[in-house]
Amino acid sequence: MQPKSKDILNDEDDYSDISLRLMDVNDIDDFMVWATDDKVSRYCTWSTYTSKEQAMDFFTNIVAPHPWLRAICLRNRAIGSISVTPFEGSDACRGELGYVLASKYWGKGIVTRAVKKVASVIFAEWPHLERLEALVDVDNAGSQRVLQKAGFQREGVLRKYVIQKGRTRDMVIFSLLSSEITQS
Amino acid sequence: MTAENDDNSDITLRLMDLGDIDDFMVWATDDKVSQFCTWKTCTSKEEAMTYMINSVIPHPWMRAICLKNRAIGYIMLTAFEGNDACRCEVGYVLASKYWGKGIATRALKMVASTVFCEWTHLERLDAWVDQDNLGSQRVLVKAGFQKEGVLRKYMLIKGKPRDMVVFSLLSTDPHVN
Repeated sequence: MQPKSKDILNDEDDYSDISLRLMDVNDIDDFMVWATDDKVSRYCTWSTYTSKEQAMDFFTNIVAPHPWLRAICLRNRAIGSISVTPFEGSDACRGELGYVLASKYWGKGIVTRAVKKVASVIFAEWPHLERLEALVDVDNAGSQRVLQKAGFQREGVLRKYVIQKGRTRDMVIFSLLSSEITQS
Repeated sequence: MTAENDDNSDITLRLMDLGDIDDFMVWATDDKVSQFCTWKTCTSKEEAMTYMINSVIPHPWMRAICLKNRAIGYIMLTAFEGNDACRCEVGYVLASKYWGKGIATRALKMVASTVFCEWTHLERLDAWVDQDNLGSQRVLVKAGFQKEGVLRKYMLIKGKPRDMVVFSLLSTDPHVN
């Protein structure tokens, strides 16, 4: 009898089947895998989730109404998420990129691929968008590497820019312009 | 009103009110002043009053920059909430006749020297300046702000995406007096 397993990989080291799709409440168990992981929440403004009710709130209040949010999937199972948040008025030419990935899948280039996919479609979907930007904690070297590999330009360090878990943090700011997108 | 010497000791900050409308008109109708700002040059007293009443006076923290108690510009602070409460954005406007005399620098230093004491949760003051606005960049450098980088196509000014230089002053930075 085959043991029931929540593992997606089943002993295969094949990370080629990465796709982006809408996320919904059916992904909640997979969501909990990364949302309850301290390593994942470490450089994020949100605190590690401790209950499924909290996750339901997130799906209802953040995921469902979000202007652009996708699950990062490996063989169609959610292993993370990626989003672009637009701004308004004088700031409407830019959008902020955010992403999160279950720690088991770090270091395999998955987020870099997801970011490149997003970059290849978002400027066409939102023609008024000229700039995609991302702010990363100065100590989050892994995430900075993702953006560099995805072709973003590091513009500088914004000192004591945000409060994370009660401490003010320096944030590195990266950007990708619509004029820099090449078909790849 | 004449400023016969470059004496900045008569620079004061106070609340602005409708009584300052004529002085407000002097810079609000000046293309040179509005060039790097998001607001459009006012072309009539009605337009200037509307802008003053709707956008400037109600701003949560705003002070007229005064020379001998007459308004020659203003300086304002925009605070943020939640995870962004550690920082505050500063903006300023000065009538072009008074440019190049160190007045905006002095007003900025005056604000910087008090705001960190008054708002103890504040750690960072920042300013975003159009890349072509060299005068304003000099003001910030002279006031002790640090240039952190150029944010490309960061915001729309008069409908065009502009590269903006970001500067900051931390509560822990040396305060130039």
